[in-house]
Amino acid sequence: MSKKRGGGGSGGPPSGFRAGAWLSGTGPEHDIAICTRARLARNLQGFPFAPRLQDGESRELYELVTQRLRQPGFPEALGIVDLEPIDELERSVLVERHLISRELAASRRPSGVAVDQGENVAIMINEEDHLRVQVFAPGLQTEAVWRRAEQVDDALLQRLPIAWSEEFGFLTACPTNTGTGLRLSVMMHLPGLVWSEEIDKATNVAQKIHLAVRGLYGEGSRALGDFYQVSNQITLGRDEAQIQADVFLAVSRFVQWEREVRGALLRDAARVRTLDRVHRALGTIERAQILTSEEALGCLSALRFGVEEDLIDDFDTAALNRALLLSQPGHLQRHTRERLKPDERDQRRAQLLRETLGCAP
Amino acid sequence: MQYCTACQKAIATIVVMDLTNGAVSGSQHVCAACAEQLGIAQPKLPPKFSPEMLEDLLGGIKGGKPAAARARAEACPGCGMTPTEFRSKGRLGCPRCYEAFRGELMPLLQRIHEAQTHRGRLPSRAEPIAPPNEDRTLTDLRRRLEDAVRGERYEEAARLRDDLRRAERGEESKP
Repeated sequence: MSKKRGGGGSGGPPSGFRAGAWLSGTGPEHDIAICTRARLARNLQGFPFAPRLQDGESRELYELVTQRLRQPGFPEALGIVDLEPIDELERSVLVERHLISRELAASRRPSGVAVDQGENVAIMINEEDHLRVQVFAPGLQTEAVWRRAEQVDDALLQRLPIAWSEEFGFLTACPTNTGTGLRLSVMMHLPGLVWSEEIDKATNVAQKIHLAVRGLYGEGSRALGDFYQVSNQITLGRDEAQIQADVFLAVSRFVQWEREVRGALLRDAARVRTLDRVHRALGTIERAQILTSEEALGCLSALRFGVEEDLIDDFDTAALNRALLLSQPGHLQRHTRERLKPDERDQRRAQLLRETLGCAP
Repeated sequence: MQYCTACQKAIATIVVMDLTNGAVSGSQHVCAACAEQLGIAQPKLPPKFSPEMLEDLLGGIKGGKPAAARARAEACPGCGMTPTEFRSKGRLGCPRCYEAFRGELMPLLQRIHEAQTHRGRLPSRAEPIAPPNEDRTLTDLRRRLEDAVRGERYEEAARLRDDLRRAERGEESKP
């Protein structure tokens, strides 16, 4: 039996909780690379792109796509979630699980998402592009996610009139996605680079080699809890294998860099400050009665660091990843089954984190 | 990042491309100062009113026709998106916009991707898929009808309206 806390049982996740790839805490380089995602942007011939699409047409498109996805022989068993009848809270739950984008959650046109049981494949319908395919895998697995996305893409090409041209490749609404339509991103936990104030340097290096560095929930979101998404910016003029190799190489270097600075944070005079930081976070999670989302993410980041570097052995990474998800506003409110004001949320968040991580009340 | 090919000192911020039959046959990277000296770029001056801008401004007073007609002439034939809309949204309206706005799109693609043509997988052309079902025909007809009305091509519009009525009743359209 493990003496780790938060490994299930009474302090475990709420019922109906399925773990997506990014929560499992496994896969190559999982101490730093939490999860890898491939995203493909695709559009249908015969329909205008989203900016010119009328409501009636988006309904028609939605019906056509869902009907074709249900045809036998699709490589993934997908359940279709129609977003129209779904309220804001449930939509935010889907965003927090990375199954839909914030843009799709805010959209009022007929739209939906097709998701597999393991929450590793999600196809958004009527996003900025007619179709946005997402494939997730834990750890750093750029090739695996691309291969799986390619299979899904093959199946889509057999079933739907996808728009493409010899010259420009797959035609997308925004020129930043034209060509392969492939965005490969790796969600990374980089507390070492943040704590040693090297993150800006790392971000600049990434930008020079055409990688975008964004916060936990993509474009425009802040990098809370030292979590970052690193992805390719170029989609045209390079083939998928090259994009995959570029992202893999760059992320591997980031992982190495993060390990080096972590080493420095654990040596000599720096060590006691680092230990203090981790144990303070532990104390806060165990005792605090009010926790804002930002403070909770900061604490969970420090605990994750402590676990990965063997400074504390109270939790496992998967439990911390789950806690990270459950402390988000949508999940928190769904779990408590009521809408909460921000200050009530902070109180419930402190309580829920103690429960999830198996800490004493 | 590249240094200016003219002075070899400053960072190049302008790419000059030679086009032969629509394809890039050569390129030169220069800095802003050299570009100005070489007469490639204009020094920055306050914007002047062009006759077109004046016309746009006066459009409301004069009934808006000339400017609107011009915008229509340049609009994408596939979806009716105008160059102004493309510029303000930064998004294309349909697959045909890629041709309609080619002139503006190519430098944009170059800036974003440092490339202008696709290298990567494409669907195998062995199994082309036709846009499905009769509803599509109806939608296409409706869109073409709207286009024709917007373009003041009334004869074509009348023909399309008849086709649409027939299609709605489930009859074949006459050629």
